[in-house]
Amino acid sequence: MSEGTIHLALFNAIDPAAEAIGKLRELGIQDKDMSIISSVPYSDRMLGRPMSWTFVPKIAIGGFIVGLVISLLLNFGTPLLYPIRVGGMPYLPIPPTLVLTFEISMLGLMFATFLGVIWESAFPSFGPKEYHSEISNGRIAVVFSCPAEIHNQVHDLLVAMGAEWVHRTEATEL
Amino acid sequence: MTAKAMPFPKGEFQEEEDPQEHLLFDPRPREEMNQMVMESMRSTTGPFWVVVGILTLLVLVCLVGAWVYMALTGMGVAGVRRPTYWGMFIANFVFWIGISHAGTFVSAILRVFKADFRRPFTRAAELMTAFGLVVAGMYPLIHLGRVWVAYWIIPYPNSRWLWPNLRSPLTWDMIAIFTYLLSSTLYLYLPLIPDVAMARDHSNGWRYRLYRLMALGWRGTEAEWHRLRTAIQIFAFAIIPVMFSVHTIVSWDFAVTKTPGWHSTIFGPFFVVGAIYSGVSAVVMILFLIRTTLANMKYFVREEHFDALGKLILVFSFTWTYFYFSEYILAWYGGDLSDQYVWDALTKGPYAWLWYTMLICNIAIPWLTLWNKRIRRSPAMMFAIGFIVNLGMYIERYLIVPGMISRNRFPFTWDEYTPRIELVISVGSLSLFLLLYVLASRLIPLIPVWEVHEGQTAHTLRRIGKTVVPTKSEIE
Amino acid sequence: MVDKAKWGMVIDLDRCNGCTVCVTACSMENNIAHVGEADAGYGRSMQWIRIERYWEGEYPNIVSRFMPVMCQQCGNAPCEPVCPVYASYHSEAEQLNVQIYNRCVGTRYCGNNCPYIVRQFNWFDYAKDMPEPLNYQFNPDVTVRRRGIMEKCTFCIQRIRRAEEAAEAQGREVRDGDVQPACAQACPSEAIVFGLLADPNSQVSHLARNARAQRLLLEELGTEPRVIYLKSERGTKR
Repeated sequence: MSEGTIHLALFNAIDPAAEAIGKLRELGIQDKDMSIISSVPYSDRMLGRPMSWTFVPKIAIGGFIVGLVISLLLNFGTPLLYPIRVGGMPYLPIPPTLVLTFEISMLGLMFATFLGVIWESAFPSFGPKEYHSEISNGRIAVVFSCPAEIHNQVHDLLVAMGAEWVHRTEATEL
Repeated sequence: MTAKAMPFPKGEFQEEEDPQEHLLFDPRPREEMNQMVMESMRSTTGPFWVVVGILTLLVLVCLVGAWVYMALTGMGVAGVRRPTYWGMFIANFVFWIGISHAGTFVSAILRVFKADFRRPFTRAAELMTAFGLVVAGMYPLIHLGRVWVAYWIIPYPNSRWLWPNLRSPLTWDMIAIFTYLLSSTLYLYLPLIPDVAMARDHSNGWRYRLYRLMALGWRGTEAEWHRLRTAIQIFAFAIIPVMFSVHTIVSWDFAVTKTPGWHSTIFGPFFVVGAIYSGVSAVVMILFLIRTTLANMKYFVREEHFDALGKLILVFSFTWTYFYFSEYILAWYGGDLSDQYVWDALTKGPYAWLWYTMLICNIAIPWLTLWNKRIRRSPAMMFAIGFIVNLGMYIERYLIVPGMISRNRFPFTWDEYTPRIELVISVGSLSLFLLLYVLASRLIPLIPVWEVHEGQTAHTLRRIGKTVVPTKSEIE
Repeated sequence: MVDKAKWGMVIDLDRCNGCTVCVTACSMENNIAHVGEADAGYGRSMQWIRIERYWEGEYPNIVSRFMPVMCQQCGNAPCEPVCPVYASYHSEAEQLNVQIYNRCVGTRYCGNNCPYIVRQFNWFDYAKDMPEPLNYQFNPDVTVRRRGIMEKCTFCIQRIRRAEEAAEAQGREVRDGDVQPACAQACPSEAIVFGLLADPNSQVSHLARNARAQRLLLEELGTEPRVIYLKSERGTKR
């Protein structure tokens, strides 16, 4: 939200919300100054918005590799540090090591996925943010910042489309 | 010319299900669903506290008290002896790991297959996984002779430069169960965040503070949803092989030994199928209990869900029977003497009554009842069938663990196993599972409302010709 | 893994008459706990050797067969790889299966995986309740085990060690006859013979090559046991 005050408009359904985004774009508000907040996920195509990015898959792969390295250290490093002959088996057999390699790599994958979500979303963040508690009751919020000149124009447009208007939102404590 | 046409079946058309009977075609405003879920979480009655009190008492006496007594006195107060060095504790361990496969099956496999009937009960099933693993993870500690040095199995650098044996299936168990527990908990938590955010917006007091902490500041922006959905997809695909591997590793505790009866290559898939079988039956039991004890649950958990789960239970009953019969026919036909000793003990020896009970519970009753739609749609009957299946599956684990090792290649050492303090500790651990579940039902919303809402958005009724047809859109 | 047997034992089943002196001597030598009547009735006696007794035939023509079974000190011991803490491992020097008492956490997996069912478990702190003056008969060379620990026959490794140390002090190798475990020492009919299987001239190696249909127990499992049984021909003469 670069310039101007931040506004939050609540809609009851997805169709008027998607229409509103188009109209706001026509009025010159850029995509990066707009955001949709909802209680169920709506895909970017439904909203007519550019695709949002995420690094979570790459972080997950990174976690997998970290798990793989740790499992290799455990499986092949510890018998070298503490070589004990058991059951006539060689010190560094491959088949039993595959079990733990798989498990620990998957652990790394999933833990990293979770941490990736947390990190990317900058969770936990308890400071004041733009939000309205009605969103979790099914409303869809269009949050945008617009310069003061077109403020009234935007207001009229959105109310005509059926929005419940909350303007100049102070960031509420969540 | 035309095919022989049958008269329009009388009454059948009326018996056609009203699509509105299905949850996903019976949408209510999100506000109302939120209120229903919050009310079911907050309203507690007098009997509820009585139940909590009894469960807490059972946990303290039968689990904590008995376990401490056993640890201080020695394993001798249990019923194990040579040659049955493993008994009810390990049978319980396998049983609870089996129960824990239910949640992953419901929330991961059904999600991957886009089976939308899973939507209302994924969280209830995932809670079963998490708590089932907590209880299951206690049993390798309970059955240890020297539980106070159990941490030696963990690979950590120490001053004696000792490392554990990473070739032992027990070490694999520990790491696999830890992986599965952590993954399941995270997989439970991620889809919980939006619902806890909803609860945060509808609470005050200590609940508000708790949910605010748990929601981590979730709002529901596009970016947040995108990340969450991506993570949930990764988890769903990744946790399925972990689920398979965990119970396979547990089965390898038995299969890598030289014990006749245990040394079977089929144990891996056999145990996994058995786990899903008993797990799905346990989900049915829990869903019935939720429906009857919590407010407003009859809207979310409906007969259609019991119907779908009943079909799954029947399919898994077939699969389990196929694996078990493979085990039996090979021993019967192949004739290795030590295998014959084992199977004779199970089928004709002192365990025969258990064996026939198991066959009735696992094969006869599901096969005779679950083909019938009316039975499948009756929650009370499904609860009974679920209980019977779990009983049969517990007997199966009991027959495998202490039953099969009572016979071996030296008839001079044969001895039966009779449980002693194991019964008390088993009751205690079951109480712990129920207590954790009951407390969780007060603290977190049991129904993933956002998923139900999402499913209802995707499901519509469309007219084709003279009838309305349920239609599902791919909005994911 | 080639058979690198060092210490071995030959048991002559013709000479064994089931007197169980070996069991008693082993218990005295190795501080084996006395479990009391109740536990013994429940099958928890902790003797490291068991004399398996089989009856054959109908009365009055009954033949009894005795087979002492103790830890076979397998070359490919199945009890070793399953212990999660390496409490049971293979000693390369003595080629024996060694049990480390203070490392055992008591999972009892080794007990399940032993195909000879020779491993024992301390179900209680039996030694704690030893009435005076029985505690004076404990062997100071051997640990007294507390509850939660697996144990088994060690081929009297304390005697092997003492003989090896004595031999080293005299600047020589251990010779055949230096070491006798308690069971071999006590057996009145010399049914148990112990020695260096690695030495082809030792008494035990001679007996192991005996033509009397010598066999290893459960050889088909690939465990490579170090105890060789000489088959009894008593029953065939009747």
